[in-house]
Amino acid sequence: MYDLIVVGAGPGGYEAADHAGKMGKKVALVEKEQLGGTCLNVGCIPAKAFLRSSRLFRDCCEAAAYGVRVGAPEFDMPAVVERKNRVVATLGKGVQGILKRAGVEVIRGYARLISRNTIEVAGSRYQAANLLLATGSRPAVPPIPGIQSEHTLDSNTVFALQHVPATMAIIGGGYIGLEFACFFQEIGTQVSVFEMLPQIATGADEEVSARMLQILERKGIEFHLSAKVLRIEGHTVYFATQEGRQSSVEAEYILNSTGRVPVVDDLGLENLGIDFSSKGIRTSEQGKTNIPGLWACGDVTGRRMLAHAATREGMVAVNNMFGRKDRVRYNAVPAVVYTHPEVAMVGRTEEELRNAGIKYKKSVVPMAVAGRFLVEHEDGTGLVKVLCGSDFGEILGVHAIGNGCSEFIVAAAIMVETEMCVADANEIVFPHPTVSESLKEAIAGVH
Amino acid sequence: MAVAVEMPKLGNTVEECLIARWLKQEGQVVSAGETVVEIETDKTSFEVAATVDGTVLAKFFEQGALVPVFTPLFVLGNPGENVEPFRPQSKGSTPAANVAGSPMPNARNASPVVQPVATTDASLTNSTAPLSPRAQRFAEEHNFHPQTVSGSGPGGRVLEGDLRALYHSFPKVSGAASRRVQNGAEVPREGSGIGGMILSSDMASDRGASGTRISGVREKIARRMREAVISTAQYTLHASADACGLLMLRARIKASSAVPDININDLVTFCVVQALLEVPDLNVLFVDGKILPGRGVHIGFACDTPRGLLVPVVRNAQAMTVAELATRTKELSAQAVQVKISADDLSGGTFTVSNLGVFGIESFTPLLNPPQVAILGINAIQVKAVRREGKVEFIDSIGLSLTLDHQIIDGAPGARFLKLVREKIENVEQICTI
Repeated sequence: MYDLIVVGAGPGGYEAADHAGKMGKKVALVEKEQLGGTCLNVGCIPAKAFLRSSRLFRDCCEAAAYGVRVGAPEFDMPAVVERKNRVVATLGKGVQGILKRAGVEVIRGYARLISRNTIEVAGSRYQAANLLLATGSRPAVPPIPGIQSEHTLDSNTVFALQHVPATMAIIGGGYIGLEFACFFQEIGTQVSVFEMLPQIATGADEEVSARMLQILERKGIEFHLSAKVLRIEGHTVYFATQEGRQSSVEAEYILNSTGRVPVVDDLGLENLGIDFSSKGIRTSEQGKTNIPGLWACGDVTGRRMLAHAATREGMVAVNNMFGRKDRVRYNAVPAVVYTHPEVAMVGRTEEELRNAGIKYKKSVVPMAVAGRFLVEHEDGTGLVKVLCGSDFGEILGVHAIGNGCSEFIVAAAIMVETEMCVADANEIVFPHPTVSESLKEAIAGVH
Repeated sequence: MAVAVEMPKLGNTVEECLIARWLKQEGQVVSAGETVVEIETDKTSFEVAATVDGTVLAKFFEQGALVPVFTPLFVLGNPGENVEPFRPQSKGSTPAANVAGSPMPNARNASPVVQPVATTDASLTNSTAPLSPRAQRFAEEHNFHPQTVSGSGPGGRVLEGDLRALYHSFPKVSGAASRRVQNGAEVPREGSGIGGMILSSDMASDRGASGTRISGVREKIARRMREAVISTAQYTLHASADACGLLMLRARIKASSAVPDININDLVTFCVVQALLEVPDLNVLFVDGKILPGRGVHIGFACDTPRGLLVPVVRNAQAMTVAELATRTKELSAQAVQVKISADDLSGGTFTVSNLGVFGIESFTPLLNPPQVAILGINAIQVKAVRREGKVEFIDSIGLSLTLDHQIIDGAPGARFLKLVREKIENVEQICTI
């Protein structure tokens, strides 16, 4: 009998198992594939490894602008994949070590729920006082004829590419699609992005999303907004434009990045009366499902679908199951898009505030107010936007686009988390010269 | 030769001390070993003595100042000697102005910590043990005034350390939430933010952008009403009195031009005053477990004003004729409605009457006005059937609702008082000399 069995060893599951293990609980973690889940194996980490290489390639191409002459750089795709695999392997071992130190037993195999406190893995049954479901998500497969053809990749298979494609059609202008669009564009692929909605990076603040579109178009990425992909035949993507006109684009590869769906099937959820749908298992802010003793965290809940949100949700669930009151404050969960330039955000968007009828003040400054930003980025462009309540000046949202913002968004997250007011935030000293000074200036600009 | 006496370093971690009290003034002659000034660390107090015989030539700091260790405090020497070489560069931190009654700090100095609702009560904060000057300073700077804090100093004196420990035991309040507190919002016991931090979303009175913040007067009324319910054991007795006498008298007053206008309310109030003179047990205040007899009958009356409920007080009603009572009541209600009433006329009552009869209310539960222990509600005059000598008669009858604090007044004495009030009302024509 375990205190806790966690199903799924992604950033939600393994961190929760580690946390419970450190609390001295008897914990088991079930994983059918690699430790680390989507994030480590086919998500955040490999994508960032790829983007690191593409940025270096781009830097080499633009080195002359900084007074450095290099020869014509070459992008060695197999070597890039090899490096990515090395990084992933190192981190995977790290996860293994963490779990070992926390005394977490790792059970390999596919878990199926038998009852609210029993699971079955490879014919053996295990019992626990608490079950935490952290089964994650998988790439969505929209009902587009031909989407599973041989030239179509998804965010899992794309990491195995062994050469630089000449052309790439990306279906989906969300965070994942945009990161890959940047990557391929930087290494010399001709990229087209198809997005059903009239804007890209839906969920980001409208000003940031508009700026991003402008920057990426200028880089040479072709966008088809309000476009409906009708079918894929061989290398050709057929789509209807906003005006309803039919058109087509040919590409060496087609990348399906239309989002991710929670893994809720084939777990035995339906036998237990657990409240779930194809959009995920319903949870409270405490991580509880409708069944006592059954908890869920991460992508499988369909809530934020971000690695760090999953981690926090898992920790919260563990805290609550062992008597420590806690809840996820979703309003203060930051998000980052690792495009070039990066986008980082936390809290409410201006649109959300408007729709909620909340009175707010805003301040927008160009990233270039921070001297360091100009130093680092020849032709750099970006902005930082701060939204705060009109009565007390409490910081409600911070949205930034421009390289470097991913590293300082946590400061804004603390401000949102603690409802810090502009007057107080103005007393914080930001180090000089850093890109974070743009945040300081944006806060100082609230009147 | 003048010598300066420095702030001593009283411990390894002590960086500064507070000037608690000067025992000697400039110009006074002291001998070596005599205490000149008392100082305090956050834990306890010490005395600083004269090191040599001489005259106190200069004191460099005021009481309440926070002075770094090794800074000259005062100079001893012969009159006329120059003290300037000893004068410290720093003036120390400025003493907390007017420590006892200093006003609320503004929003920028808002405390990150505010005590929970149950212990937040400005009107009751005087019951705590004496605060050391250092503790007082801490309280002012942190806007932290707990109702009770156990002092670890001599005689239960509250030291800074005691206050600091208590301060950190309360949940933190976010920047936005503390500004709401400044605006009168209540602090809940628990917060849902980081480390239990109290967020604005945890505050009950926060209704987001769609709600309207209540006025300061309303906030006061709200607090008083809540206190009234929380701090007392209220119960209400309902009865009615034959109102024939009242109506007859009222008719006579109306008809006469010689007397000022006296209404039913004034007549009933007058009867209540007379009853209270006979039953002084209800004309008391209940404070901190003690019964304080009223020195005179000071009648508060509930007054509906544009700003909300106000309760003006007619002082020494026991010495007034009904005409005087009526005149004073009218004066005060006019002032209350026009927002001209002085704060003194809104406090000090020993008994309250509240009249909803004019709205046709037949009975209600008046809420006590603590520390008073009784309040009488006056209801509408209605026709009532009574049996007299085997016959049913219809009489005019006035309803009375008496709320009492069961902590002090049991049911039977309460009922006896209400009976007495009824008798007075029924014999109002004999009692009131117009």
